[in-house]
Amino acid sequence: MLTVIGRRSLWAIPVLFVIQTSVFLLLNALGDPAVAQLGPRASAAQLQNWRHQHGTDRPLGTRYLEYMGGLVHGDMGVSHQESRRSVTDVLETRLPRTALLGAMAIVIEVVLGLLLGVIAAVRRNTLVDTGVMGVAILGISAPTFVTGLLFLNILAFRFGWFPVGGYGVDAMDHLRHALLPAFTLAITGIATYARVMRAEMLETLRSDYIRTARAKGLSEFRTVVVHAVRNALLPVVTLVGLSLPIIVSGAIISEAIYAWPGLGRLAVESITSRDDPVVMGVVLLSSLGVVIGNLFADIGVAALDPRVRTDG
Amino acid sequence: MRSILRASALCWAVLLLGCKEPPRGPRYRGDGNAHARAGGTLVVHHEADVRGLDPATSYDEVSQIAIKLLFDGLLDYDYELNLIPRIASALPTISEDGKTFTFHLKRGVRFSNGRELVAEDVRWSMEHMLAPSTSSPGVGFFSLLVGLSEFAEGHSPHVSGIRVLDRYTIEFELTAADQTFLNAMAMPFTYPVPRENYAAHPTDVARNPVGAGAYTLEEWEPGVRLIFKRNPRYFEASTPRADRVLYEVNLQRESAFLRFRNGDLDHAHRFTPADRLFLRRSTQWAPYRVEGSGGDIWGLAMNCEMAPFNNVHVRRAVAFAMDRERWSRARNYALRPIGQALPPEIPGYSTTLSSVQSFNRARAREELALAGYPNGIEAPVTMWISEGATGTLYAELAQADLRAIGIKLEIKQVSFSIYLQQTARAHTAQMSLAGWNQDFPSAATFLDILFHSRNARPADAENRAFYRNASVDALLDRARTERDSVLRRNLYEQANEIVTRDAPWAFLFTSIRIEAYQPYVRNYRIHGLWSEFYRDVWLDLPRQRVAMRAAQNPWRNLAALMPFGGL
Repeated sequence: MLTVIGRRSLWAIPVLFVIQTSVFLLLNALGDPAVAQLGPRASAAQLQNWRHQHGTDRPLGTRYLEYMGGLVHGDMGVSHQESRRSVTDVLETRLPRTALLGAMAIVIEVVLGLLLGVIAAVRRNTLVDTGVMGVAILGISAPTFVTGLLFLNILAFRFGWFPVGGYGVDAMDHLRHALLPAFTLAITGIATYARVMRAEMLETLRSDYIRTARAKGLSEFRTVVVHAVRNALLPVVTLVGLSLPIIVSGAIISEAIYAWPGLGRLAVESITSRDDPVVMGVVLLSSLGVVIGNLFADIGVAALDPRVRTDG
Repeated sequence: MRSILRASALCWAVLLLGCKEPPRGPRYRGDGNAHARAGGTLVVHHEADVRGLDPATSYDEVSQIAIKLLFDGLLDYDYELNLIPRIASALPTISEDGKTFTFHLKRGVRFSNGRELVAEDVRWSMEHMLAPSTSSPGVGFFSLLVGLSEFAEGHSPHVSGIRVLDRYTIEFELTAADQTFLNAMAMPFTYPVPRENYAAHPTDVARNPVGAGAYTLEEWEPGVRLIFKRNPRYFEASTPRADRVLYEVNLQRESAFLRFRNGDLDHAHRFTPADRLFLRRSTQWAPYRVEGSGGDIWGLAMNCEMAPFNNVHVRRAVAFAMDRERWSRARNYALRPIGQALPPEIPGYSTTLSSVQSFNRARAREELALAGYPNGIEAPVTMWISEGATGTLYAELAQADLRAIGIKLEIKQVSFSIYLQQTARAHTAQMSLAGWNQDFPSAATFLDILFHSRNARPADAENRAFYRNASVDALLDRARTERDSVLRRNLYEQANEIVTRDAPWAFLFTSIRIEAYQPYVRNYRIHGLWSEFYRDVWLDLPRQRVAMRAAQNPWRNLAALMPFGGL
């Protein structure tokens, strides 16, 4: 097991290296950040001064090596904005907010998804099953920017159940403001889990040991919850790791719609303002999230399936 | 499967069609106080972020909205765009030769840190802004100051043209008469700042502002919000205004407008086309909707040094080919068509120029024939645009208009910085989609910068059409020194007319600002120069705004759902 984890973790290093190198080169291909920052009124002297202050007047290779060298030591550079905050500082402020949103989204999608899947399986071919699967198709097919705006308009603005976007002022307020964006993020997950769980449950409910459990006289509730759900749950658990990349990418849209000041919104802000060091930092964190998600999925599979453990 | 799809469709239908009707008008009303009163928190927003709060360097629109709350200057503009004294006790006296400007300061004006603002502070602030190490984008506006180059090159510790005469009097001397110096002195670059604050915050003064404005910075959460608190030491402290201004940044347009309609935001601006249409048609919001000019011009810049635009008839053909009304419709009437180089509120705008650049396809074809292209132009023309959906829309409109007269337009869409660099380089971009905002309400800020030959440099050109006309140069140079405002206006009008006829740009439109505010927001008007100017706003409803929080109880509409009751 440790070998699997070690091997997968080592793979993460070249993956992150390639991503960072590609983004670094792409950003440089977008033109001079000094021009983007200072605008059309800047004189040649001002542009030169800005480039010198931000170190963008040095050769590309030198800057690349410096950046990668800094990265090894945990230094992600300094923001191009006038405030000149360190990128680490900027990310430290934003990361916990996205983490909160992501954690809430995962909890919501796991709880609701599994619950709906079980209900649909137990009540298969009834109106309940049809209804749940209908909602699941809706959840999978609707993109975040549609569901986000729809929920904001209907659940927040029209019904007033949730705040109409924003971040709130204290801890409880943050949680209240996070509910709807987290739910929006979780929609695809809920639908996916519900469908997978339903399929697994239907398979499990047909197995011999369930028939035996019923024959022993166990109540239907106990048969389903203790025996069927427990076994049907195993393959679903691995999906949690895989949902992390979806959460990370969905956060960009969801945070923008709900004005949630996390990493997703920071990504949009830094790209539009050509704050290249921050863009690099956000990409690094996002790709790290994806790599860790995949790692968890691999570990999950390895833990549950002995063949993977032994074959590597 | 069919039943599942049916259920899915039903869910969509319930969500989309079954909802209860949202409020069409304002949720909260004013208390009906006739007289201004202090108190309350004004909650406003912007879709972008504040980049910095140092008036010497932060020249973007969003930062300036905040800077106008924190700082005040010697001069400013009233809502009719007349220059008025602020920290100066009166408009400056100007010497006979028009080169020397003497300002007298009001006594007793204090920075928010409590120290009195004196003439020495004005000099220090100006020199700080002009110092090369500051990299202020404002330096170019003060290039005529005597002794500026010696100061910039480090040969002199001071700008000799800035002289403190006594504690409350300061004098500026120019190398040549320039009436736009008064406009420059009303720009935020000149706002006095206390030098001790720069000593205390050598690297992050842009995050720790101290000024002599109506508000002080209480809190700044980068990328999220800024909170401004009323400055009790402000020289107009007795004027009633909101106690606090909460400035939320980075709000997406769609959600910002929903929050405004929900009563969470007090002022709304910059809408999606759909929201703009809603606001224009809404009778309930009509009393709280204001419109104003964007103070900008937009058009197609044609490179006069490159074929086929080195032929004036081709340029005129393009100008005639543009169906400006259709452009306006395509943007839900967010644009006001113009066919000249100046927006209507700028002195020098001509009311007699309407037919020179107007939509006339027959005239466009005639001009093409005069240029030697009776059947249109065979070789495609390339137009450079920057990123963004609006630019793409404009490019497509231009493509259709030019196709109708036989010109094939190819679009080259690049990043903003590449666009700026390449269109400012000679013999590079045949045509570009161009826009320009006023720096101050003077024709100089458009005509001088965009069409004077001195700005048609081989690289970093501001005159991106590379247009050269000695008569225009002469008129603009004379206008800059002319002290009589009527004569000055005439000179700019003449220059405007020549430029419009020579058509280095196909002048298309100026933007229309539409904004809305809550009924309890009082004394808000669109300022012709400053975006979202909140300094003088007072709130008629501080008590009910507190009550609004309770009204936002998340469960207040539970009944609306039972059973689909509110749907």
